[in-house]
Amino acid sequence: MPALTLRCFAVLLGCAAMGAAQDPAHGIALFHKGEYAQAKAALEKAPAGEHQRVFLALSRAALGECKTVADDLGALFQKTSDADLRRLSGIAAVQCYVNLSRFDDALPVALRLKQLYPADADVLYQSARALMRSWNDVVFQMFQKTPASFRVNQLSAEIFEIQGRYGEAIQEYGKAIEKNPRALNLHFRLGRAVLMNSHAPEALEAARKEFEAELALNPGDAVAEYQVALILQAQQKGPEATARLERAVALNPEFPEALQGLAKARMEAKRPEEAIRLLEQVVRLQPSSESAHYALMVAYRNAGRREDAARQKATLDKLRKPPEGEFTEFLKRIGEKPPGSENK
Amino acid sequence: MRTLLALAGLLASEPYGIQFINVARDAGFVHAFPNGGHAGKKYIIETTGSGVAWIDYDNDGFLDAFIVSGDGASNRLYRNDGKGRFRDVTREAGLERSGWGKGVCAGDYDNDGFTDLFVTYWGQNALYRNIEGKRFEDVTAKAGLTQDRVRYNTGCAFLDYDNDGHLDLFVSNYLKFDFNTTPKPGENPYCYYMKIPVNCGPRGLPFDRNILYRSNGDGTFTDVSEAAGVTRAEDSYSLGVLTGDFNGDGLIDIFVASDQTPSLLFVNKGDGTFEEDALLRGVAFDQDGKATSGMGVAAGDYDNDGHIDIFRANFSDERQTLYRNRGEGEFDDATVAAGLSHNMSYVGWGCGFADFDNDGWEDLLLVNGHVFPEIDSLNIHIRYQQRAIFYHNGGNGKLEDISESAGPAILEKHAARGAAFGDYDNDGVLEALVNNQNETPSLFKLARKPPGNWLLLKLEGVKANRSAIGAIVRLTGGGLTQTRVVRSGGSYLSQSDLRLHFGLGAADRADRIEIVWPGGNRQVEENIAANRIVTIRERTPPSPRR
Repeated sequence: MPALTLRCFAVLLGCAAMGAAQDPAHGIALFHKGEYAQAKAALEKAPAGEHQRVFLALSRAALGECKTVADDLGALFQKTSDADLRRLSGIAAVQCYVNLSRFDDALPVALRLKQLYPADADVLYQSARALMRSWNDVVFQMFQKTPASFRVNQLSAEIFEIQGRYGEAIQEYGKAIEKNPRALNLHFRLGRAVLMNSHAPEALEAARKEFEAELALNPGDAVAEYQVALILQAQQKGPEATARLERAVALNPEFPEALQGLAKARMEAKRPEEAIRLLEQVVRLQPSSESAHYALMVAYRNAGRREDAARQKATLDKLRKPPEGEFTEFLKRIGEKPPGSENK
Repeated sequence: MRTLLALAGLLASEPYGIQFINVARDAGFVHAFPNGGHAGKKYIIETTGSGVAWIDYDNDGFLDAFIVSGDGASNRLYRNDGKGRFRDVTREAGLERSGWGKGVCAGDYDNDGFTDLFVTYWGQNALYRNIEGKRFEDVTAKAGLTQDRVRYNTGCAFLDYDNDGHLDLFVSNYLKFDFNTTPKPGENPYCYYMKIPVNCGPRGLPFDRNILYRSNGDGTFTDVSEAAGVTRAEDSYSLGVLTGDFNGDGLIDIFVASDQTPSLLFVNKGDGTFEEDALLRGVAFDQDGKATSGMGVAAGDYDNDGHIDIFRANFSDERQTLYRNRGEGEFDDATVAAGLSHNMSYVGWGCGFADFDNDGWEDLLLVNGHVFPEIDSLNIHIRYQQRAIFYHNGGNGKLEDISESAGPAILEKHAARGAAFGDYDNDGVLEALVNNQNETPSLFKLARKPPGNWLLLKLEGVKANRSAIGAIVRLTGGGLTQTRVVRSGGSYLSQSDLRLHFGLGAADRADRIEIVWPGGNRQVEENIAANRIVTIRERTPPSPRR
């Protein structure tokens, strides 16, 4: 283990360790001073105990002995009942495992740590680092061992998507499809990347072809049906769009977006009661969806059900209200003169 | 029978090939108007641009042009010589002023027969009183319109909300901005767009409030924002202002396009107060219940059903929004149904419903331009300078995007902002003047006169305010009834021709023109021959104030 990492590690642990050590106090004090060899020697002679075992393992890890103490730290993390010691041994175990590239051991500890200490910045940092290093390792392995697989292109495409480089994502999805034309989800992802890249009419048509291709492979894909419906709507093909929305809902009767889209079509077809039934279902499925409550409010209003519309509006107002003390409340006051000193 | 034949004529007419050309330079608009950085913009104030106005300030019957400038140059007034040329008369008109000019609106606030101008600023606004068509006098302080601090004023509109015959004034405010305290690009999460550092806001910057000034009837105004209830809508980044009697109760309401916050509809309650009711009336959000980045606003009866509909221009990756008025001021989102859902690469600003081809159906012109010049570095489908969009109204509830074939002016790419609509050469065909950031303006004109007949109505209030702002006109001819409103402000921070233009198609006359004057006075004119400008004066005994 490189010395630099160890120093950071010792600093990281220092604050939380203060006050935790009572028994093998001398060794722990030496550990806090960064005198790891002396700390190790003192702790080896100290009476056995939880603090002694943890700080001895930490000292040895700090001296570059991760290979021999990583499992001890892992075991201490599992066994110890003291919350501070548990946190310290867990963080150290994750760091040792990561440095030894033992990601399969690091990840369970990291995930458990995250559960135990969900708001601890050090824990979250080490967990993120473990996940990132593990991800890098797997990706490297994939590119090295299966360079010709369509999965390499698929993964590259997904990374480009995350980076907002949709043109490159489209190219990579295209290569993946070329290699494995029957793989599920590739056409769907390609269609979505095409739409993210451009909203031009030709892009709509190109995306639609991909969603249709996905449906040819997987006729039960309700989301692809829904995407086709949206494109048809934008292309002013209302009846065809409605038919696709109906199909999406038939495939997945609890698909909120499709239900809402179908409700809108029913409203336009002057079938408000049907629209209302669909939207009431959406609200049941997604009680905190502003979009669903808004659509239901408008549907009630158009059907003359004023009181129901007002109730939806009240729900919407509540959902839209920023949490108490939200940043904007503070922002609103910036630049204001004290009350009474200006004609507001 | 004549009506039926005329209608058949309208429907059977040959499609007219709309071709817009940009005649700005030939017309004399040779000055560029600075508006912040061109390659990069450090502050939000550089992004929101400025408006333009068509006004006939000297009452010679021809529209003159007023163009608002960003910091670094003066606003300019151009006089129309009646032969298609404009001459810069800024200095002699007394309108020289530099600073961060934003919006402009017009109206005869003192009812003296000459159209006055109000110009909004980041800084102090200016009310310019028109002195007998010869020059303008800055009467801001005299009128009680001086503000007690620097404000980011944007849209404005004269309106007579209490129907007392005197024009009141609404001014929208964007946010609180200060060069010294506003973060720089990249300084916080609100200062990024698509992962590149850009100017910050509006999110993260403090809201400000809109302002309603009531006319005291003696040339002065009183800020009644609080009492009228317009300050209650406080969480809004307000830009474009649109006035009109949207619910048909004879009182002028106010719609405000808001950026990243719900748009506002102040419904006039008739007792001096307004109720903000955009949400329930269906104009706060898009059809998915989400607030959009509203900038420009236009009103028109695109489906000729007698109710005024609203169009709002939004940001890229958002749909533009068309709200169809169901009557009584309740709206449905008709964006997808009308065919406006596909143009999501544009950031829209100046916009207007206008019957360019005189077929009796109002088309829709929208000018665009992104707010971040830095976006060009990404090399994606969204660019800083953008072309305009022209939607042709087919009379079937659809607005067909024919931009690609609508002529070179539409395809020119600019960072366009304000746009005003009017018939500057009185030939019965509308033109559009566009304020482009850091460039010369564009003047959109049809290369060839469309075949349809037309009427241009100039209204003069007597009991009502003299500009007739707020008057509603329903013209029946050729089997259609078209509705227009005399309006101050609108589009994006701009002022269009106060005269009302009607395309009549093959009809050679208007069978009936009904005018509802502000205050409710109704007047009907019949059998008005086409292809001329008609002045209609309110028929009522003159009030003692004249």
